[in-house]
Amino acid sequence: MKRRHFLGGALAAGTLNPRAKAADLCGCSLFAQAAATPGNPDWDPISSGVKITGMKVFGVSLTSDSDRPYVFVKLETNKGVVGWGEGTLEGKAAAVMACVEDFREFLIGKDPMQVEHHWQSMYVHSFYRAGPVIGSAISGIDQALWDIRGKVLGMPVYKLLGGPSDPRGVRGYYHVNAATKEQLQQVRESAGRLGVTCIKGGIPAYYEWIETHQKIDEAVRRLQLLREGLGPDIDIGVDFHAKTSPSVAAILVKEVEPLKLLFIEEPCPPENVAAMARIARRSTTPIATGERLVAHYGCRELIEMGVIDILQTDINHVGGITALWKVGQMAAFSGVSMAPHACEGPIGGLATVHVDAATPNFLVQEICSGVEAQPKDKVWEEWLGFPAMRMVNGRFPLFDKPGLGFDLDEKALAKYPFGGTKPMARVFHTDGSVAEW
Amino acid sequence: MNIRRKKVTEWIAMQAAAAMPKDKHEIVEMRAYPVREPASGRSYTIVRLRTQSGLTGWGEAARVSPSDVERARSRIVGRPATAYGVTSTDTPLDGAINCAMHDITGKAVSAPVYRVLGGPTRFKARALAPLSGGTDSELSASLNTLAKAGFQAFDVPIPGFNWRNQGQAFDKAARARMDGLRSGAPQSANFVLRGAGALTAGDAAAVASSLERFHLLWFDEPCPVTNLRTIKKIAEETVTPLGFGREIASGSVFQDLLREGVVDILRPSIQRDGITRIRRIAAMAETYYVAVAPNHDGGPIATAAAIQLAASLPNFFIQSVPWPEDERDRKMRAELVSEPIETVRDGFLSVPATPGLGITVNESALEKYKETAA
Repeated sequence: MKRRHFLGGALAAGTLNPRAKAADLCGCSLFAQAAATPGNPDWDPISSGVKITGMKVFGVSLTSDSDRPYVFVKLETNKGVVGWGEGTLEGKAAAVMACVEDFREFLIGKDPMQVEHHWQSMYVHSFYRAGPVIGSAISGIDQALWDIRGKVLGMPVYKLLGGPSDPRGVRGYYHVNAATKEQLQQVRESAGRLGVTCIKGGIPAYYEWIETHQKIDEAVRRLQLLREGLGPDIDIGVDFHAKTSPSVAAILVKEVEPLKLLFIEEPCPPENVAAMARIARRSTTPIATGERLVAHYGCRELIEMGVIDILQTDINHVGGITALWKVGQMAAFSGVSMAPHACEGPIGGLATVHVDAATPNFLVQEICSGVEAQPKDKVWEEWLGFPAMRMVNGRFPLFDKPGLGFDLDEKALAKYPFGGTKPMARVFHTDGSVAEW
Repeated sequence: MNIRRKKVTEWIAMQAAAAMPKDKHEIVEMRAYPVREPASGRSYTIVRLRTQSGLTGWGEAARVSPSDVERARSRIVGRPATAYGVTSTDTPLDGAINCAMHDITGKAVSAPVYRVLGGPTRFKARALAPLSGGTDSELSASLNTLAKAGFQAFDVPIPGFNWRNQGQAFDKAARARMDGLRSGAPQSANFVLRGAGALTAGDAAAVASSLERFHLLWFDEPCPVTNLRTIKKIAEETVTPLGFGREIASGSVFQDLLREGVVDILRPSIQRDGITRIRRIAAMAETYYVAVAPNHDGGPIATAAAIQLAASLPNFFIQSVPWPEDERDRKMRAELVSEPIETVRDGFLSVPATPGLGITVNESALEKYKETAA
């Protein structure tokens, strides 16, 4: 390092953080040019004049023992415009809330319109890059920034993203959790009445590294039942939820080829892309995965290998609207379709619909609800004034309202105070060892 | 379904139906103006879109045929101007139309395009000037002119050659050219060496290696992109950064280059690809820690679009600006676009604050410089 750089670095470090004592500095390279941060007058001529003046973080537990309290972020501005976002991370609510708080000092005083710039800064300057906690915190902030930008510019987010592909809305699917043919036939009828064209089910047990023929046969029987009950015209997805090892999944995926499923989801856990690829290569059944991946960086290997068919990154973890859009664009280069995961609250749900509407390679949007509305659907309606994430004619409708398209009074959330972080389900095999669920 | 829910559902359907189909920014007219610079002979087609709402958007394509214009018009009229992410005419005008749609969207919300796209990500954009001339002395004169105009980065054509795989003589000529230019240039100068896809892998690898310690910004398109193995040879033999993109019309080819780890800077074309396609390519490139430096060999409208793009991308590096050295061409560009957007200071273009692409196009100049059929 040249001496002048070193001296410049020491000065710049002082500018960056006046409280940092020399003892706090590790000697890592902070150079003079690092001082060119926002706040530098060079930005002034092109700033929007809008400034973030406040941030509130809400933990919202629908029931006092909920293991997945919603994490909502509200950003306030000097123009009176507010933005909402969601960073719900199941089982880790308090960690995400604390992580959002960590970004408070960074956000206050910033121009909220520069979401791409702030996303980069939050991600890159977090240094360790983002895992699910930082990813979910960035997601909540990012959505709120997009909401503000849409409201300030007077345009719905899907239009700022260059959409919509289809003004009628965004195709979606509900879940089914039925064990008998009769129940499934009822779902089929309701779906027909509502114009719903796609349904997702699951597999019926927890699976060990290698499985017995009884459990494999039972799983296959249940998936056949799904097709028989729902009929030939509905697209069916099946969530393996990474309960299976690649060895067991490969067998099941091959067995169900004749059912012509729309996709099977997460046939194995997400860390090992080659293991996922090994399953995908041995079957014609389309493979979907990605709900646990963070940022477009986290999807790169899966996309470039070109072995999966559908990506399901979640707007509440992947890094919000900014990152979900990027994942979708990247996926298109490999012919991969988008079917984003949505199993948390209504804000992330609505935000993801905006991205879907502007993604040419979009396939179908999840919502963790049933063909018949569930209690949480009522709560969402109470908050937002309309039944958010209920489909009309099989699609999530698009509105012309600016931003994410809803108003939310924070008082409405007070009825559901934060009940603290609760661990998610713990599941064990018959011998007591840990099982995937 | 209870009655209340049914009512709400119907209300939503009605709202959605009422809100969507008729878009006030629907495109009602498209015009294309082929123009030609008097001295350089550089020609390009300027595209104007108009909407129902009375907004005008500008874009710029390379020279296109009248039948392409007809085809594009029939496919773009009737589309909402804001739907730039999901609209394609499948013609060579797509890049221009995409820029014009962004221009309209920015004007519709009274914001520069980079603000519509989540920027600014930077408050100025580094500029690269292609040198003109065939001989070392002509290039040197060109460098002086462009350095005086404010440029600090220069794109240098590799010496012409008469035969292939000519080995040392060629290598020496390339080195001599670069050394000569650097010794006569201001200290701040940096260089791109432009191969224009004309070299054999052997020649390219030799030059790339022998210029390693010269520290080019990058070696641009040393050989054609059609053969990945060939590029691999160059990439594996040298640490000189490599750029590709002038002839790459499909994003999947960029994906191949990135996946194989043989490219250091992506060079999509602002005229051909427009803003959206370059943003898509750039998003992918981010995950390989690679930046984009859009190609541009057209007029000032594409420069304006490129500046907006630069201010909305995190991984933008430098923008090529075909800054004309002949007074007559400069005059034409200044007449076409009122704002001095192509002015470079200390190596950088500035980022405008006005809505859309930040330019006012002078329509009478379009007529004046109209290219008539030869």
